[in-house]
Amino acid sequence: MAGRRVLITGVANPFGARLADRLAADAAVERVVGVDTRPVDPELAERIDVVAADLRSAELPPLVRAAAVDTVVHNDIVQFPELGRPRAAIHDVNVIGTLQLLTVCGGLPTLRAIVVRGSAAIYGSEPAAPAFFTEEDADRFPLRTRFQRDIGELERLVGAFARRHPTVRCTVLRLQPVVGRDFDTPVNRLLRAPVVPTVLGYDPRVQVLDAEDAVGALRRAVLHPVRGPVNVAADGVVSLSRALRHARSPALPIAAPLWGPLVSAARRAVGQPALPDEIARYLRYGRGVDTTRMRGELRFEPEHSTLEALARATGFERPQADRRHQNARPDAPRR
Amino acid sequence: MTEDDWGFDADFVRTVSPLLDALYTRWWRVRADGVDHVPATGPALVVANQAGGQPWDAAMLATALRRHEVRRDDPPRFLAHGRAFELPWASTALRRLGGVPAAPGNAARLLAEGHVVMTFPEGGRGSGPGYARRYRLERLGHGGFVELALRSGAPIVPCALVAGGPGPVDRVLARVARLPRPPVPLPVLPAPARWRIAFGAPLHVAHHGPDAAEDRALVLELGEEVLARVQEKVYDSLVNREGAL
Repeated sequence: MAGRRVLITGVANPFGARLADRLAADAAVERVVGVDTRPVDPELAERIDVVAADLRSAELPPLVRAAAVDTVVHNDIVQFPELGRPRAAIHDVNVIGTLQLLTVCGGLPTLRAIVVRGSAAIYGSEPAAPAFFTEEDADRFPLRTRFQRDIGELERLVGAFARRHPTVRCTVLRLQPVVGRDFDTPVNRLLRAPVVPTVLGYDPRVQVLDAEDAVGALRRAVLHPVRGPVNVAADGVVSLSRALRHARSPALPIAAPLWGPLVSAARRAVGQPALPDEIARYLRYGRGVDTTRMRGELRFEPEHSTLEALARATGFERPQADRRHQNARPDAPRR
Repeated sequence: MTEDDWGFDADFVRTVSPLLDALYTRWWRVRADGVDHVPATGPALVVANQAGGQPWDAAMLATALRRHEVRRDDPPRFLAHGRAFELPWASTALRRLGGVPAAPGNAARLLAEGHVVMTFPEGGRGSGPGYARRYRLERLGHGGFVELALRSGAPIVPCALVAGGPGPVDRVLARVARLPRPPVPLPVLPAPARWRIAFGAPLHVAHHGPDAAEDRALVLELGEEVLARVQEKVYDSLVNREGAL
């Protein structure tokens, strides 16, 4: 497919900005249109077409039709309050925004593919879970938290759209928690906090995704769209204690009944938004996903393993870091 | 730290093995027969009855294999009740010892990777019945383990355990904690009765092909066959036990 025309929603958030940047530099992409209500980095805005519109407004459809895009990247999906996306608007942005966007997409004769930045949070974090969730396991457990219900609804909408429009390839990338130095994600904030509140007596298996790999997977899905959901995660599932040691983030174990009240009080005190419930469950029960589809169908290989991604996020990258750790006592003093 | 993607931690196993050895030789004075029936390579599904309560059953089976140097480089994994992974500390310890929640897909994946998987299909019913029926096996689930073996082509190794069973303290604790009793590990050691472990000859099911897993009649038949073999070994072991204490 030569001369691709790509529309990216939520282009002002770091995922959107990095993706737009990389696609604009790609010879196969003719045009990148970014949609956001928030201001876009001026340097980037020069290289792409920015449309300052809300997904939920009436002005969007004619603009999109005029751009004659063949691929839509739905990236305006919010897990916790961020700049320009207050708490009360999250559900609206995630679900109503998607609904409106898909309505617009339905009237686009040029459309070939839709790529959605979804989340592996749809599987939840469950004690009795499969050790590696496959794409078919999404409805195995009830959707327990607000964000889970949002992305569950979102995937249902995308699935319904895909059935009605068989010519459009619809992909939902289910990303494991993304960590990266310049990316403001819930897990990232946790890692960079002075101490990470863990749950006393629990040491779950965790798996993350490097931010650059997240952008790389989105790019890959734009250039080579596949159908259906695809898990995207770094290599390696590690225990939380090992992950935190590797990232040099000190852990503070708190007994489960006190965990919720203490953590929300501490975060209020420092002016941070409350931790999303699915992150609280992730810290207690963890999650691993199967990446067979990512490798086999999407043909994407992440560059950084889980441990590397964690070290990169906190700025403690060390070559052969793991070897050092094997000899270090777990309680050895940190630098 | 040598944990794998499943959370199995060989270093942790090495650290606790002196303790497990002490339980094995002194506390329960375990004798294990027929460990050679566990294949030296490739996947295998060890199907055992529930006798001492989890996680001790699985731990002693694994210790038996380790002490006989069977599968030294690839210790067995075991399926544990999902509720066990809700508990603090116990969940972590179970996982590091090779425990995996008994969720669909987990066992299949372990077998596909070529591991030995131990399963206790009696589940909660295992040591449920009264004292008089304590050596009579319960129905082995609904044959899920047979389907698993058929799909993966792994041989089924029947394994009989004769043990003291969870004590009265265990039952009271479980009632207080409102947990299904036998499959959930409690920090209470079963009584120091003499234990016997007997592995039987493997039942090869690969020739039926993976599609045979849909054949209910065959699944039930093989399930009964395995149950009979385990029950027979239990009775044999009882005769040869040289007294309970």
